Amino acid sequence: MVTSAARRDLRRRSSGGFKTLYIVILLVFLYLPILVMIGLSFNASESRAQWTGFTLDWYGRLFRDARIISALEVTVTVATLATVISTVIGTLAAIGMHSMKQGWSNLLTNVAYLPMTTPDIVTGVSLMLMFVFVRWPLSKWTMLCAHVAFDTPYVLFSVLPRLRQMNPNLYEAALDLGCRPTKALFKVILPEILPGVITGALLAFTMSLDDFVISYFTSNTDQNLSMIVYSAAKLGVEPTMYALSTLMFLVILALLLIINRRSKLEEI
Amino acid sequence: MYDEQRLIELRGVSKSFGDTQVLYDIDLYIRKREFVTLLGPSGCGKTTMLRIIGGFEMPTRGSVIFEDKDITGVPPYRRRVNTVFQKYALFTHLNVFDNIAFGLKLRKLPKAEIAERVGRMLRLVKMEGYEKRSVESLSGGQQQRIAIARALVNEPEVLLLDEPLGALDLKLRQEMQLELKSMQQELGITFLYVTHDQEEALTMSDTIVVMKGGRIQQIGDPKRIYDEPKNAFVADFIGQSNLLSGVMLEDELVMMAGKEFPCVDEGFEKNEVVDVVVRPEDIMVVGTDVGMLEGVVESVLFKGVHYEMMVATGDMRWKVHSTTMQPVGSRVGLSIVPFNIHIMRREAVTLPAEGGEKA
Repeated sequence: MVTSAARRDLRRRSSGGFKTLYIVILLVFLYLPILVMIGLSFNASESRAQWTGFTLDWYGRLFRDARIISALEVTVTVATLATVISTVIGTLAAIGMHSMKQGWSNLLTNVAYLPMTTPDIVTGVSLMLMFVFVRWPLSKWTMLCAHVAFDTPYVLFSVLPRLRQMNPNLYEAALDLGCRPTKALFKVILPEILPGVITGALLAFTMSLDDFVISYFTSNTDQNLSMIVYSAAKLGVEPTMYALSTLMFLVILALLLIINRRSKLEEI
Repeated sequence: MYDEQRLIELRGVSKSFGDTQVLYDIDLYIRKREFVTLLGPSGCGKTTMLRIIGGFEMPTRGSVIFEDKDITGVPPYRRRVNTVFQKYALFTHLNVFDNIAFGLKLRKLPKAEIAERVGRMLRLVKMEGYEKRSVESLSGGQQQRIAIARALVNEPEVLLLDEPLGALDLKLRQEMQLELKSMQQELGITFLYVTHDQEEALTMSDTIVVMKGGRIQQIGDPKRIYDEPKNAFVADFIGQSNLLSGVMLEDELVMMAGKEFPCVDEGFEKNEVVDVVVRPEDIMVVGTDVGMLEGVVESVLFKGVHYEMMVATGDMRWKVHSTTMQPVGSRVGLSIVPFNIHIMRREAVTLPAEGGEKA
């Protein structure tokens, strides 16, 4: 005899099965292309059609390719410098905006949001126009300048919530105990908002590492890794590019996991 | 003339935030070793006054005097006062020891002395052995003790306390009230305490400053404030009271609730309209034949030590505290001795709109 309880149970189990299937399809759709690429980066054959054995050859070649090494250098230099500069600017801006009157603070918050929602191509083209206008030849330095511009809001918006959570009396407590304003900033405010600053810096570094569109428009002589992959793809993709893309994917993945973990720890 | 005893003085202090004025022409002085409480409802300007003395706000007009020197423009880090903030404001990135040592380290005192003084403070606030603990692992009451220790360790001339016990539960609050009072006596430091809790103010203070709408209503010791409130607001705020209007017929005779009562006050105009306060515990329940008033018991509440009864006489209702219970509906007589009738001059008070105080 099939009781109503059993029927309900059956229904629940079949709907559970459907949910699992749905998630599997979703994940395959999202990650299969990347998994295929990672697989092909270890394929001995240069052809995409057949698997002829495991090799690390493509990875080896990657590190012997002078163009790729110099692109790596550009990428890391630009990302590191852009992170440092935008972290300083973004943190100070957040502290300033936090102590402003409500109206001004809200206005500036919205102004700072704008670049984050502007399409990259618009940001890229407009920055390029600006550099051309001031006759600054496009190189990794203009690229750095552009990266600082789009990284800063990310730092700003990781630090601001931390400041809003902070006990408003902390700064006054520091003054009360004998700190001058600058000392209070370094001894009390910065340590209190440090988790937000680090998250912001990691976000900025990640954004800088994987940027293609804005870099493409704002640099000419110097290419970063994304630009190398793009120009190689125009000529027909070599498996070294699969290896390069795999490495970039893994680095970004690792950074995102760290950022995620940090923001989860902060919620506790 | 400068009074030897005056430690801090406010002279004609007014403060506005934008269009809202929160303090009106405040004159006040605090003596050395005194426990002064600023008491008033939220928005009365008491916290702003404390912040002006701490140096966190500048008065719009007037000056702050410290030991005969004008310190109105002196920043907080150069004032010999320390503050215990409402929400503790401990530094979460430092442990208990480093929180308390913060001010001493800034003054670059030798390590041994810092350790010694922090240890002494921890004993004073009964938190020995907590040196290495993170402040976030402590309960609200423990955090409050650390905040007090962090301020006191600097041996300030004045300790400012902004509703420091507001977040604690009743029992802990009463315990801390006694401890704070004994610390103050032991250390001989002047305390300026802000609260909206009249019981707290009565328990701890040497002097209470009752405030409303940015103005001082009355200054006095707890007994005086309780027994001789200067106006209807103070009487009402300080305790449960029967507040009614009356007419002074002559010296020591007041007309209220339709009857004449002998009292002890003098110096009013003939037929001057006054406010009268009678405390519930000062009304005696007697037989209807001997009472000055006769009424019907409307309700009875048991309050532990006493019964609280509402007694209606004509169109007046009296709150009466008595240790003997009278059943609802019974007729009773009420009697008040002259000494317990408090006559207050009715002030032409034009109080400003409330608001503006920062929490």
